[in-house]
Amino acid sequence: MPLELHDDSATLIGVVTVDEVEQLTAWLRGSQRPRVSLRRCNHLHTGALQALLLFRPKVSAAPKDAFLAAQVLPLLTGSSGPASRQGTEPP
Amino acid sequence: MNPLLAQFLAEANDLLASVDEGLLQLERDPGDPDLVNEVFRAAHTFKGSSGLFDFPELTRLTHAAEDLLDAVRGGRLALDSGMTDDLLASFDLIRGWLAHVTQHERLPATAGGDASGLIAKLRAPLGGDAAAASAAGSESLPVRAIDPPPDWLATFGTEWLTEVATWLDTTTATLRFVRYLPDQDCFFRAEDPVHLVRQVPGMDRLIVVPPERWPATEEYDEYVCLLSFVLATRASAGELEYLFRYVPDQVQIAELDAAAINRHLSGEPEPVAVHPHAAHALAVDPALAADARAVLAAAHRTLAIGEPAGTQLLALIHAVTAAAHVLGVPLDLAGADRETVNAAVEGLLGEAPDEPVAEPPAVAPPVIEALAAPPAAVPAEAAGRADDPGGQVGTRVLKVDQEKVDRLMELVGELNVAKNGLTFLADAAEEEFGSRVLSRRIKDQYAGMHRIAEELQAAVMDVRMLPLSVAFGRFPRLVRDLSRRLGKTIELVTEGEDTMADKDVIEALGDPLVHLVRNSLDHGIEPPAERIAAGKPQTARLTLAAVADGDAVIVEVSDDGRGVDPVRVKRKAYEKGLISEEELESLSDSEAVDLVFRPGFSTADQVSDLSGRGVGMDAVRASVEKLGGTVTMRSTLGAGTVTRLRLPLSMAVTQVMVVSVAGQRFGVPVDLVVETVRMPAAEMGRVLHQDVVVMRGEVVPVVDLARALEMPWTPDPAADRAILVVAVNGQRIGLLVSQFHREVDVILKPMDGLLAYADEFSGTALLGDGLVLLVLNVKEVLGLAARTA
Repeated sequence: MPLELHDDSATLIGVVTVDEVEQLTAWLRGSQRPRVSLRRCNHLHTGALQALLLFRPKVSAAPKDAFLAAQVLPLLTGSSGPASRQGTEPP
Repeated sequence: MNPLLAQFLAEANDLLASVDEGLLQLERDPGDPDLVNEVFRAAHTFKGSSGLFDFPELTRLTHAAEDLLDAVRGGRLALDSGMTDDLLASFDLIRGWLAHVTQHERLPATAGGDASGLIAKLRAPLGGDAAAASAAGSESLPVRAIDPPPDWLATFGTEWLTEVATWLDTTTATLRFVRYLPDQDCFFRAEDPVHLVRQVPGMDRLIVVPPERWPATEEYDEYVCLLSFVLATRASAGELEYLFRYVPDQVQIAELDAAAINRHLSGEPEPVAVHPHAAHALAVDPALAADARAVLAAAHRTLAIGEPAGTQLLALIHAVTAAAHVLGVPLDLAGADRETVNAAVEGLLGEAPDEPVAEPPAVAPPVIEALAAPPAAVPAEAAGRADDPGGQVGTRVLKVDQEKVDRLMELVGELNVAKNGLTFLADAAEEEFGSRVLSRRIKDQYAGMHRIAEELQAAVMDVRMLPLSVAFGRFPRLVRDLSRRLGKTIELVTEGEDTMADKDVIEALGDPLVHLVRNSLDHGIEPPAERIAAGKPQTARLTLAAVADGDAVIVEVSDDGRGVDPVRVKRKAYEKGLISEEELESLSDSEAVDLVFRPGFSTADQVSDLSGRGVGMDAVRASVEKLGGTVTMRSTLGAGTVTRLRLPLSMAVTQVMVVSVAGQRFGVPVDLVVETVRMPAAEMGRVLHQDVVVMRGEVVPVVDLARALEMPWTPDPAADRAILVVAVNGQRIGLLVSQFHREVDVILKPMDGLLAYADEFSGTALLGDGLVLLVLNVKEVLGLAARTA
């Protein structure tokens, strides 16, 4: 099972497919201060990524997967805003 | 010759013909996208197949042609007559090569040299490649299809764009920029945009664009895709198109260089689109280039010696322009004076790196085209020399209209019937005319004719036989595409592709097989994660196997997926009202699995676009039964499913057992017949309203065929009962008949016209004595019997 959900923390393992999106979203909706470990996650379905972007849980462990670490983690930790926020800048 | 090569050569002939025809039509109607596509596909197939053999020149040349056609197909290039000439010349050259290959199994020694000139010419409109350009000894002026900078470029941020523009400027390189706006409901089509995006090779920068405004968390629908993506990559346009081939309408790809990005940064408007003719690369056949240079040198001398004017100057200008065109530099010197011409010639001769002195792009098309014609004709002739006029590509394969083969089959049937008439004639000769000798001679004649007719029939049947690889051929692609779409890794294994079956069977097998394979992919095989959790290898295995079994062929589709859950199937069937409550309790697991073949049954909870709209397995069973075959399914929960199709090898000739009922003869397909028995009337039992016989400890119900067919007949109480035992849907049923006759091979004609409604007969056949035999559709007859009982 790619999702291990606890009260406030979740672990995403392996490939998170579209089948897990609903469960993940429900959990994010329900928890107060969600924390997510992506260490063992290899792929996030777009729907899962979208949910994480909306609910912005704290990422407790960075993913090992190169793509997720390089391209996805910065979006979730929100520290390097420029990547995602530049759409409004004047050309 | 290796069979693969022989097949390639046979196919090549057709492909070459279709390429030629397509190109010629295309020249007349350059805008037709279907035609371009057709020619492109042929060239593509050619390249693909040529890669199987060690013909590097062939692959390189077809590759160049394919690239050019691809550019035309993509609208990046307009096909002109020069390009068509080059393409035709290339394929002529290939034809010559293949004739050589047919005889010597290798390309002619001159292939490399012949090809390189053409490759350079084919590549020229695309911007040429380095080798071609250096061969021509001139610097190329490539046409890169630089797209106008799209407005979404701003997403990348000014800072990064400036950096990239500087880098691209320094390196005169380009980057591909992609915007991917997934449809909101793309998740339902098993698309995963992030998964696609992460496969982009050579990714330089990826930006995930969140929606402008996120919905409130309560209203958020997790199945609506709100994200979009912009990315910059070094992957080629072709790679990107391939990767995004399922979602082309959601993706924009722009190829940009430094100038385009800078234009975007400074907010400049787009310059007028560059004319495709504007800058041909100087990538030309070296021989032609040498000729052109000689012309130019002569012109230069003329200009140096005297002061040509009037027509002399005009002729000179013509010569220079033509030479320039050959070198790939279009010049417009119309009305130019001596100085300008001289400068242009010097520019060309000096191989000046820049565009020679001349009005840049504004080309007067008529002049150029008129001039383009003569030099373009030269390479075509040059290529023609390599053509082996007497050569024949591939072995002769005769393509025959299917109808003609069918007609031949019909005639064989008629011949069989006519031949069978001879036995009756022999009997008549003996009985009516009392000539035993004549009867013997007719029988001898009959034996000879019989042998020939049998052989003829076998030969015609053989023509119609195709290997099952024809039916399996489409699956590697189908499985690959679907598995990518579903995010499953599947290995397709095919076995017994060389098993032969009648073409009608092969053709009719296509749809049921596609259905079964899709079902396996969609419902049977689990996603990788689930497989790993179940302790199975991540890669699923789908096997298509065919094996000949007497006069039938067995095709099995098996997977190692999750299998059919008999409990779920039973519950589902009960919910849908397909089975009663008692059946819900009493059905065995294997019977439960069989329920999936009931009409109106579909196990998938969610209807997907691949399969599963409740018209699935019953359609498979119906179409297979129409062929006279059977479908069975075995499944082990958690370990996989095997669907087995059993089909007759041929549908043209049916073996029937002739029986008579109430004085009339009927045929019963031999496939169904289990045995024929004679029973004393006293051994017939009766259970409830059903006659039964007990055979080897098994109770077999007996149906009185005469009663079922409403034919008055009272069996002789003293005589033994003749019972034909048939197996229908795995059940044994006895048919009470009055007499057994022999088995015959007949050509079954379906019931039509006034008799089309008579479902209890599957067709009619003509016997040798001129009698029309009705062949029973046993399943329907039993249904009829059940109703009348």
